[in-house]
Amino acid sequence: MIQMTDEHLSDLLKKMYANSMEAIFFIDEKGSVVAMNPAAENILDIDVIERMHSGVDDSFCQTCKGYTDEKDQISCAKCYLDYPKGDFSSFQVYLKTRNEGVVPYAASYHTIDEERGIRVLMLLDLTKQQKTQEMLQRSNLLKYVIKAQEDERKRISRELHDSVAQELLSSLVDLRVVKYMDVGEDVLQKLQQTEVSLTRLLDDIRHMSVELRPASLDDLGLEAAFRSHFKWIEKNYGLLVDFSAELSAARYSSEIETVVYRICQEAVLNALKYAGTDEVHVRLCEEMGSLQLTVKDTGAGFNMNVNEAKGTGLGLYGMRERAELVDGQFKLHSAPGEGTQVELRIPLTQDNKREADTR
Amino acid sequence: MKNQPIYHYQEEIDKLRGRFQFDFVSMALVQPAEDRFVLTWQYASGNINERYKRIVLHSGKGIAGMVFKTGKPMLIQNVNADIESRDLFNYPIIVAEQLKSLGAIPLWEDSRVKGVLLVGYRNENRLDQAAFERFQEGLGAEFGAFHAREVTQS
Repeated sequence: MIQMTDEHLSDLLKKMYANSMEAIFFIDEKGSVVAMNPAAENILDIDVIERMHSGVDDSFCQTCKGYTDEKDQISCAKCYLDYPKGDFSSFQVYLKTRNEGVVPYAASYHTIDEERGIRVLMLLDLTKQQKTQEMLQRSNLLKYVIKAQEDERKRISRELHDSVAQELLSSLVDLRVVKYMDVGEDVLQKLQQTEVSLTRLLDDIRHMSVELRPASLDDLGLEAAFRSHFKWIEKNYGLLVDFSAELSAARYSSEIETVVYRICQEAVLNALKYAGTDEVHVRLCEEMGSLQLTVKDTGAGFNMNVNEAKGTGLGLYGMRERAELVDGQFKLHSAPGEGTQVELRIPLTQDNKREADTR
Repeated sequence: MKNQPIYHYQEEIDKLRGRFQFDFVSMALVQPAEDRFVLTWQYASGNINERYKRIVLHSGKGIAGMVFKTGKPMLIQNVNADIESRDLFNYPIIVAEQLKSLGAIPLWEDSRVKGVLLVGYRNENRLDQAAFERFQEGLGAEFGAFHAREVTQS
């Protein structure tokens, strides 16, 4: 390092003061602003600067909204201005800014001139970093919610299937036995009616269980689960699903299978709700080391540039998030009058692929 | 139910459609035990496609499902106003047949709902309360082998 002269150093410091992106304030013992650099002036409200310069009110408090401590997001307890001895080498402070309201800044505050009690407060804009963090947190939270929901659905589905439906089935069998006992005509008729209701109830419970989470997805894999789901869709809504699977009964990790199943379910439901068509094409295949799902309809389509959700708008977002859970790629293409196509591509590694015979 | 005359329901609902100038009439019936007693549309008149044949009705869902479950007639005077477009997919028969104004009544047998008769128009507000009541009166107490109204068994 080249030895620097004092003049040179003070010149550099001056330049730093003038050109730095960090806002620098010099504050005295009473909390009054002694000086601030251009970056700092850019932040503050013009009125506040005016008052500071004219000396009407030069306290820093009129722009500071508080800082983040262990207890609160924004707090004024043990203000850093009053406790210069406290550890304020790095903290987060909220300032009232010129155009953007209250904005968080990363701050450091320390004494630089003991004699005159001058301290320096340096600020760095945190909004961008905080937004990134928020997005990260939201996406993590969503993934957690998706997982929790899936687990809970699985639990309730099993419960319905294994205990409620089983109990009901054995009552139904008992009832059928009674029919062959020596009972009167009117009793027999009543029994038959009860059998009808119970049979329908049993079907409803089974449907509910499958709707929550099909056991066939865990036991038999994607293809079987899709076939029964599409049959159900056809019966319920009259929508025809043209399904072609080229997987030859291959199995994948349960996480991947769940993601593919749910995304497909959502895409088909979207077509049913908004496409105004009664036929949907679904193709499931393995190509070039990745699992691919295509859901296509030739219905109404929509303008992808217009951000106007017909439904909750959460569906597409959720599909994307689910795809990310397994490092999948989610693509959507649609245009008015051209129908909609949803594509999902999940890269396969040895870990997440399992053959049917290993089970 | 012995010596019961055989009813030709297709003819009956065609006649109904002509008599009241409906755009669409359909009839759902509970199926026998082999089909696990499901409720499906068996006859339709004025249909624009065959989608209705694929639909299996669920008790409590959709207009016919509601009528089946409650045993009460139901009227949707204006589909566009009474059903949120977001929910419309839960009413497949309305979507498939593009109905805009419709009503449905239960068909009784042995004080059980055994079927649903649905009538409707493809224009809004064609079937209002008064017209729906006129239809029910005009239909009378019986439709084929069924009671159009609840009869309490003695």
